[in-house]
Amino acid sequence: MLKTGRNGKISSMVNRYRIVWLCIITFLVMSIFAPHFFNLYNFTTILETMCLNAVVAIGFTIVIIMGKLDLSIGSNLTLGAMFVIGFEPHFGWTISLLIAVISGGIVGLVNGLLVAKAKIDSFIVTLGTMTIVQGIVYLYANGGALYTKDTGLGGWLQQSFIPLFPPIVLISVIIILVFEGILTFTRYGRGFYILGGNKETAWLAGLKTDQYLIQGFTISGMTAALAGALFAITLNSALPDLGVSSTMQVIAATIIGGASMAGGEGSVVKSMVAVLTLVILYNGLTLLGAGNSIQILFSGLILAVVVLQESFSLYQRNKLRGQRVELLKEFSLKR
Amino acid sequence: MKTVLEMKQVSKKFPGTYAVKTIDFDVFAGEVHALLGENGAGKSTLMKVIAGYFNDYTGEILVNGKTVQLHSPAMAKANGIQMIYQELSLAKPISIAENLLAGRLPTKGTWLLDRKTLIHESKKLLGRVGLGHIDPLVAVEEISQSEAELVEIAKALGNNPSILVMDEPTSALSKEEVDRLFGIINVLKKQGIGIVYISHHLPEISKIADRVTVMRDGEKVATKDITDVTTEALVEMMIGRAAGEMYRKRSSSIKEDVKLEVKKLSRRGFFHNIDFHVRRGEILGICGLSGAGRSELARSLVGIDPIDGGEIHLDGTEIQFRSMNRALAYGLAYLSESRKEQGLALRLSVGENILSASISRYSPKDGKEIVKKLIKDLQVNPAEDHRMIATLSGGNQQKVLLAKWMATEPKVLILDEPTRGVDIGSKMVIHQAVMEMANRGYSVILITSDLPELAGLSDRVIIMRNGHFIGEIDRVDCTEEELLLAANGKGEYVNAIRESR
Amino acid sequence: MQSANLDELKKDSRSLELNTLSLWISKLGIFIVVGIFLIVGPLVSAKFYTLANLTTILQTVAILGIVAVGVAFVTYSGHYADLSVPSVMAFAGIITVATLHYGIAISLLLGILAGLSIGIINGFVVGVYKANPIIWTLAVEYVLNGLMRWIWGANQIYPDLHGNNGRAASSFVNLARQYVGPIPLVFILLFCAVIIGQLILSKTRFGRRLKVVGSSAEVAKFSGINVPLTIGIAFLISAFAASIGGIFLTSLVKLGVYSNGTGYDFNAVTAVVVGGVSLAGGRGNIVGVLGGTLLLGILVNVLNLIGVSQLYQTIVEGVIFIIVVGVNQKSLRKLGRDDA
Repeated sequence: MLKTGRNGKISSMVNRYRIVWLCIITFLVMSIFAPHFFNLYNFTTILETMCLNAVVAIGFTIVIIMGKLDLSIGSNLTLGAMFVIGFEPHFGWTISLLIAVISGGIVGLVNGLLVAKAKIDSFIVTLGTMTIVQGIVYLYANGGALYTKDTGLGGWLQQSFIPLFPPIVLISVIIILVFEGILTFTRYGRGFYILGGNKETAWLAGLKTDQYLIQGFTISGMTAALAGALFAITLNSALPDLGVSSTMQVIAATIIGGASMAGGEGSVVKSMVAVLTLVILYNGLTLLGAGNSIQILFSGLILAVVVLQESFSLYQRNKLRGQRVELLKEFSLKR
Repeated sequence: MKTVLEMKQVSKKFPGTYAVKTIDFDVFAGEVHALLGENGAGKSTLMKVIAGYFNDYTGEILVNGKTVQLHSPAMAKANGIQMIYQELSLAKPISIAENLLAGRLPTKGTWLLDRKTLIHESKKLLGRVGLGHIDPLVAVEEISQSEAELVEIAKALGNNPSILVMDEPTSALSKEEVDRLFGIINVLKKQGIGIVYISHHLPEISKIADRVTVMRDGEKVATKDITDVTTEALVEMMIGRAAGEMYRKRSSSIKEDVKLEVKKLSRRGFFHNIDFHVRRGEILGICGLSGAGRSELARSLVGIDPIDGGEIHLDGTEIQFRSMNRALAYGLAYLSESRKEQGLALRLSVGENILSASISRYSPKDGKEIVKKLIKDLQVNPAEDHRMIATLSGGNQQKVLLAKWMATEPKVLILDEPTRGVDIGSKMVIHQAVMEMANRGYSVILITSDLPELAGLSDRVIIMRNGHFIGEIDRVDCTEEELLLAANGKGEYVNAIRESR
Repeated sequence: MQSANLDELKKDSRSLELNTLSLWISKLGIFIVVGIFLIVGPLVSAKFYTLANLTTILQTVAILGIVAVGVAFVTYSGHYADLSVPSVMAFAGIITVATLHYGIAISLLLGILAGLSIGIINGFVVGVYKANPIIWTLAVEYVLNGLMRWIWGANQIYPDLHGNNGRAASSFVNLARQYVGPIPLVFILLFCAVIIGQLILSKTRFGRRLKVVGSSAEVAKFSGINVPLTIGIAFLISAFAASIGGIFLTSLVKLGVYSNGTGYDFNAVTAVVVGGVSLAGGRGNIVGVLGGTLLLGILVNVLNLIGVSQLYQTIVEGVIFIIVVGVNQKSLRKLGRDDA
């Protein structure tokens, strides 16, 4: 939104909206080839499936924009799911949802404090809290799953009041758009990008870098727990290993969505589109009769191709960095 | 005259030592106050105190007559102090506009970003430094180094400072860009802004400064009006003794045999059809503006970048190589221009750095000997091989960098800006070492923007412009004036036929 | 210019006092922690210093240790970690089992080669194209995991002790149960890995190059070091160690399956980082990695002996992990040796 390419408008368009193209292509391919893919019911399923990882990706993208890493999202997600189901009988949905989100926020806060104040590498900190929170989750539910008897809210969340957009999808998309808006259109949001682009710049500009780090990680903890909680409500249950596969999928989606591990780049909406792409891929492949293995294989391939394309174009660009255009013309004339 | 900044008895202590010791320093409105000193003299620390880097300095600082606390960059900024950093403070993946207005992005209401004003404001700022043609929404990583330097200056101007600190602002700029910068500085002076100007480039200072303060060992030596001091006197104050003849013409040590010859060497889009040769014991200078293709030529010569055409002959036989490793085996070495990014690994010790280019050459035991010898020869201070390189001053780091390449025992040594941003003492040591190498029969190719250095050291100078070889100047006629003309494509030594092609 | 005058040049006034004690702590501090546990151990339980218990400790971490030694090279090269380790382990194991009919020697060779081929791909892409190592190895982990599930998912393969290749199968299964005299083979392999790894890192030219690359790849490139090759070899070593570890693990569980190496990625990183290898690259040593591995083993053991339930153990592990690494990083910063 706040950046344009300098030269080569078309290639920069292709690059900037890469994930959108990728999503459309996947969608078209599946529409053509996958049986029973192209119908309203299936689309609704796809959108519902997207919600979990797309909401987790909000905070994770923010952390990546800051140039950090949060490996604890999977555990946080499970924590949110466990707490919302576990506390519901005592406090009702509203309070238990609040407890779940705040608990995730506290984990994120600890992450943020350790990264910002104790200055420990985020990879290490979140690797540690990932283990700790997973332990807490096991401890809380004694290693088992939790179930709720009140299935009303879960049912409501999935009801198709508006075609394609049951409340769970609507809520998730609205939250994502709100965060995208904050990141793109507010002074506060741009601060994350400046911090990720160059910490020194941010510090010199008077941004409270420690505050940003702490808040970024807290948001990450909260959105992960929120996603887990919402998902658990729709499932009417919480499993202790719910988040295990999410961590990797969210990392993959965020990178496919164009966020840079170096920091300073990324978009919550693009991460969502990337999650959607992966879900469409999974869904279509399932309809085509492919098993879990092919799905894992394909998402790995997409991630690999995206990483390769990115690093290869950077490799090419670095090779030609500093080339003089007027000299190039001369060289081709002589030949 | 109004005093915008006054520092009284300011000190800043690092563990164990004073980096800055009871300094009195002031800046008037509308003047350029140059700050001089060797590396490690405390200039940068003093400036960082002003910029709000430290919250534990002692002494009193007054801005516009009022005592202020400068404990964070924000506090400094609030008091109208802006610093232009030597190491760029720009965030590369972020747009120019957001970099320019970082920390004070315009908003509609309290939250919403005002995109129109953002673009408008940044266009205005870019225009002030002559970059009006650049789209402010382009990311900083997409513009060139010198453009980024100008953006950095525009960023500081945007905060409407009353005190502007410039730390070596010209080190990456071409001649034209320096002139433009001086134009800007003159406008700022008229607006009543007080400017602190740090540079090692003495001619630059006598051109732009009104007063000059010299520091040595963390203490102030003197403050003088620029009209009251000569360059020689300044040098004497900086190093604490008479400089003498900086470049004593040495007796030539050129042997007859051609060591390295390059024929029609080209890299597509970087430099085309370069011909030159170096003899044994010769120091060959390459003159040109930034962007003339000098560093690119050097990089291709040692195999870091590929070659698209032409031949390289060493001792009369053609050599071919595709990697720097092979080039090193042939005895070609390249001291690159960027010490911190390409030259020295800041997380390694002095010894490890010196040996980093000759790992397969020495056994650990021999390596130790070589390191010891080079540290002694080049007077690296402190002379400890296990010390972390990051704790050395810039001048000593540069000596270590030279030592690293001397350790490879090169036959042809290519030096790219070997003394950029280095204090005079270290500079003399490096010059001495280069001359000694030539005397011992090494061939040296010297790329430098420091014209006195180029004129003083070179036996012969070839001229490059826009990626072409455009002429040659012999030692006898090699003066700063001629070199400057030649670099700009003028003067009697420029080969008119080549230029027109 | 007289060189005599130069002697009078000012001394560099900035100095950094090196505290040799904290230098040693930063180098091998992990063994202090290990030592504390070795002292606390017998206080906790009389069983701690029995041969059986010490063997158990080593047994639980021996394979992890071998894998961690390999990963340490990737970390040391400044590339964080090799997250493809689990798949490489499973892959090497599966290939070994699948080719047992060629005889044990050839099948082992093929298993290792299979693992190495992944290392080559990783090394090439990360070394030449500078792909982000975490993301790239994650992608490879996905692809390889998917491939193995696809090909062997339905029919898990196991060494058939009673089939035509019974002899090869039984010698494969015995691999992880083999003793050399009184010592399990896998221990010997672990110590060999540590010693060889340490020698490679500190005594060879490759090790010295790797240090420069890990400290600054750009400087290494401008020093004539073949950076892609050096990084490639680091990934190759990681894949090699993972293959060996994977083969032993497969032998131990008697089953070749895609999920064999699960968890070894982050556990190996934990051992490496706790062992004092800096994630920023170029700093640390392999002996420290052994220390990190041992600490993990002793920790689990002591917690078990105290009777701490499995549920609490992960929490304690996580806390200790953060503390150890945090303290280590702090001491490095004090030494002015940490710019990360």
